[in-house]
Amino acid sequence: MSDQPAVRITNVSKRYGRRAPTLLDINLVVEAGTIVTLAGSNGSGKSTLLRCVAGLARFTGAIEVRGRDVGTDDAFRGDVGYLPQSVMFPSQSTVDETLAFFAQLRGTGDVVLPLADGFLPPRSALVGTLSGGQRQRLAMAIALLGNPAVLLLDEPVSNLDESGRESVWTMLRELKVAGVTALIASPSPADLAGIGDRTVMLHDGRVVDDRGKVAS
Amino acid sequence: MASWEYRNASRSRWVIGTAVAFALLCLAVSLLGLRSLRELGLSGVGPASAALINLGILLPALMGLLLGGNALVAAREQGVLPMIAVQPVSRSSLVLGPFLGVSAALAASVLLGFGAAAVVLSGVARRSDVLPLTALVGSTLAVAVTCVAVGLGVSAVSRSRLQATSTAITLWFLLALGMDLVLAAAAPALRMGPTGLLVAVVCNPLEAGRVLALLGSTPDGTALGPFGAYLVESFGSDGAAAILVCSLLLWTVAPLLLARRVLSRGDL
Repeated sequence: MSDQPAVRITNVSKRYGRRAPTLLDINLVVEAGTIVTLAGSNGSGKSTLLRCVAGLARFTGAIEVRGRDVGTDDAFRGDVGYLPQSVMFPSQSTVDETLAFFAQLRGTGDVVLPLADGFLPPRSALVGTLSGGQRQRLAMAIALLGNPAVLLLDEPVSNLDESGRESVWTMLRELKVAGVTALIASPSPADLAGIGDRTVMLHDGRVVDDRGKVAS
Repeated sequence: MASWEYRNASRSRWVIGTAVAFALLCLAVSLLGLRSLRELGLSGVGPASAALINLGILLPALMGLLLGGNALVAAREQGVLPMIAVQPVSRSSLVLGPFLGVSAALAASVLLGFGAAAVVLSGVARRSDVLPLTALVGSTLAVAVTCVAVGLGVSAVSRSRLQATSTAITLWFLLALGMDLVLAAAAPALRMGPTGLLVAVVCNPLEAGRVLALLGSTPDGTALGPFGAYLVESFGSDGAAAILVCSLLLWTVAPLLLARRVLSRGDL
């Protein structure tokens, strides 16, 4: 199990209806404990690739998360934490209720998060009163519930201010030390300089560059 | 998951607003019914009960279709459904959670409305009115829950909230009015007998609920005219009720299975 890559993507293609393919023949092997930046312009397929790995979109080809086939073995979800590009939780729920709900789904019981004090908005605050950045922090916290081995983060700092960004980068550095693998979609990979081990550039659904790839 | 959905639905301003509107309408219908009772010198809750049947079947059905219709598609648009779906939960839970939660919130709204009506009617209700009124509440709840399920089926296949809402409203018009109008025109032309009418009723959950409520108020079927007489004569009062309950069950289970299939096989 320890020799297994965290994520193995083999000949993955994805097409929405009759439109041109969003992903075309993607092959990636992500070793455990690495942070991979998925870079590319809007519409290049970054988010779709993350959604495929998260089991949220159908695809052709094969994806394995820690040896588990995403298409057939639902148990892979226990290993994955996912942050979508934007999320709007029910506005009448509090931060605490939202965290508790997802912790319950995750089966973690208590809400224990590897986050710095002050990262999360006040627990008693209604979600509807939070700013975009605060909602993003809450979503990030939910993605981290249960200490998933593989994090799939879709533009995790897009709504955050400078201190929020720094908190996320610090947290990612700490998680990386702890052996967590992360695939991070970002339109500006320079943001992840010093954190990412590898940058995979997508264009029109294809991998056009793969910097920092570990030779296998 | 159901309790999460219930909490969110019951806190929604839209649900609270429609619950209050339904309660006010129930109150108004009850008061108007009482007034006509006094003018006609009748006893019991008859006219009020008849008006409540129509109100009880139509409004909660619309609420159920709209709430169910928005449940999945809104969660998908807002990014919450993907965040839930990526957790180690079954695809059935993604459908059953909203179904149970929204149904419970809608049931609370219906009971609030009928509770308000019950306060008004309690002064004139006789012991013999209890069973019809209970049948009315039961039928209304059944139709409301069925419509939540139909709405969830609509929600699963819709691409946007706008599409889901417009489909839900169109469906409600069809079930509440359209099918009756078509039947009124087609029944004589096609010489549809009582069997044909029964099929038409079974094919429409709102009509099935309405007939069920009327059978509850007059188990001999007299409130339904010749069709009711045929129904009771052919299947017995309990048999006819069982057919209608089966129809509502089918209308509940089929859309839920559809929604589960869509969520299992499609993109979230």
